[in-house]
Amino acid sequence: MRVTVRAFLAALLVVAAGVPHARVQDPTAPRPDAVRFAVIGDNGTGDRYEYEVAQQMIALHRRSPFDMVLMLGDNIYGRQDPRNFVQKFVEPYRPLLDAGVRFYASLGNHDDQRNRLYGPFNMGGERYYTFARQNVRFFVLDSDYLDAKQVAWIDEALANAREDWKICYFHHPLYSDGRRHGSQVDLRVVLEPLFIKHGVNVVFSGHDHIYERLKPQRGIHYFICGASGQLRKGDLRRSEMTAAAFDEDQSFMLVEVAGADLFFRAISRTGRIVDSGVVHKEPRP
Amino acid sequence: MTRAFRFAANHYLALPVGALAALAWANSRPESYFTFAHRLSFAVNDIAMVFFFALVTEEIIEATVPGGALHTWRRAALPVVGAVGGILGSAIVYLAYLRTGDESSVLGRGWPIPTATDIAFGYFIARSICGRHPAIPFFLLMGIAGDALGVVIVELLYPIASGHTVAGTLLLAAAIGLAIAFRRYRVRNVWSYVVICGALSWWGLFLSGLHPALALVPIMPFLTHARRERQLFADVPLRARDGLSQFDRTWKYPVQVVLLLFALVNAGVVIRGFGTGTWAVAIAALAGKPLGVLAAVALAVASGLHLPHRVGWRELVVIAFTSSVGFTFALFFATAAIPLGPILVEAKLGALLTVCGAGTAMAAAAALRVGRFAR
Repeated sequence: MRVTVRAFLAALLVVAAGVPHARVQDPTAPRPDAVRFAVIGDNGTGDRYEYEVAQQMIALHRRSPFDMVLMLGDNIYGRQDPRNFVQKFVEPYRPLLDAGVRFYASLGNHDDQRNRLYGPFNMGGERYYTFARQNVRFFVLDSDYLDAKQVAWIDEALANAREDWKICYFHHPLYSDGRRHGSQVDLRVVLEPLFIKHGVNVVFSGHDHIYERLKPQRGIHYFICGASGQLRKGDLRRSEMTAAAFDEDQSFMLVEVAGADLFFRAISRTGRIVDSGVVHKEPRP
Repeated sequence: MTRAFRFAANHYLALPVGALAALAWANSRPESYFTFAHRLSFAVNDIAMVFFFALVTEEIIEATVPGGALHTWRRAALPVVGAVGGILGSAIVYLAYLRTGDESSVLGRGWPIPTATDIAFGYFIARSICGRHPAIPFFLLMGIAGDALGVVIVELLYPIASGHTVAGTLLLAAAIGLAIAFRRYRVRNVWSYVVICGALSWWGLFLSGLHPALALVPIMPFLTHARRERQLFADVPLRARDGLSQFDRTWKYPVQVVLLLFALVNAGVVIRGFGTGTWAVAIAALAGKPLGVLAAVALAVASGLHLPHRVGWRELVVIAFTSSVGFTFALFFATAAIPLGPILVEAKLGALLTVCGAGTAMAAAAALRVGRFAR
């Protein structure tokens, strides 16, 4: 009888192990084989707000590791000597850097153009560059100076990309409901036709010191994540483009690309999830 | 109607009209405006503007050859010193202003923008204040010298592309060689110079990475020219048959359309695009440049050069402030020095703000009782 009960319990365990996990899993738990990364913009103030956002990123990384961080520009404000790099970049993100998380920077208007040579920014000495992780290719642009050479480069790089996902990021937003700066339409009329032609899925930008998710514009999902250090409280002017937004506190994003889905979360300085959702990649026509 | 206002009506209304239309359009329908501006920018800035710069060159040649208003070059020594002072003054103030913030890396390349002088606009202002005073040729020579230096600086510092310098130089040499041959064999047909030499020169500059809008600048000196006395910006005689006169008559009005298009394509900026670059350009032009001009002229006079007859320090102050209006040339320098993007927008707004130099010049004239304010 004891053996029968033991055998029954063992069989129950085996069956239970085979049942798929319930859907109510920890939302921060990583999905296997996903490309996970954080996104920060306009972060390099060196003040306590930058450090507090960084603490949230570090806590999140402990629970569910990500292996890279996209930097949307204005990575270092003010003086840009080695001491400032320590105070405004190395110190706040030290646990992430020590854990092997790689930062991939784009340049903003407050960044010294020579910062592309700074090793931990992983720019390879270039103002614009591309890199890939699994089925995701990232394109990093320098929106300070959109010269003809860079436009030709992005056209060719996008055309040559074979990955399922094409994600672009740069400092100045093509669409924005930020009151101070707003949409950079002069850049949009040049870049957007290329993004549409080559099937770019998602674009991240900063510059306006808010978080905003825009309704898809011509099939492309645009995010503004420009408050990871700086903040312009109450700067948002909602419009019919606004899908979700947050301008009450500093924020950053955590993104996970798994198969045909891109899961995103915007997280405030205090750890509150202020926006979340999924971008489902439509098959190409 | 005074001569200055007739000049403005005949030569200069296209620009402010185009600029105002562009500003209104860019701030009300930005998507359609920037699409339009982007599509037309190459045709206008790199091709059509060839004829504007050719006409400016023609005016300068007419004025500096024997019999011209600005002949001889000995008269130019002090204005050239003033021009150099203006460039240094505006550049120093521009870069010093940037050092107060953290955007000098991206904005630093814009330092030639406030060095620009809008010669035609300035001429209109100076004539409105001073009438036919000898300060006018002084202003014109200073503006011409400053802009010529500015063009050289922009071209050398910020070539458009690189890689075909040898082929470009050869084409440019061929264009100039052909123009010399045309002149030697007394070819009077101006179209031979414009179409054949101009096209070769355009390709040469384009391949060299220099601004192709300057294509006719090295060709114009070889057009045939009749000796005559002519003031700057004055109409050419109707009976004149020489190459320069033909060119002036043919292109004077089409160039107004070109300037209208130039302003339409380049002056449209979203007003809230202002930033550090806007104030840097405006302050450098409106304060740094006049100070630089006056300091350089003072040094030159202290070193032994003489002020022109009937030109005193009060007139010089007014002329120095007048030279701070960069407008057309500042917009051109901005588009040549800074690629598309928000940094360019900031700089363009600063270039537009330099029209305030007209106000400061008027205020200086009123305070110092110069010209029309003397009565």
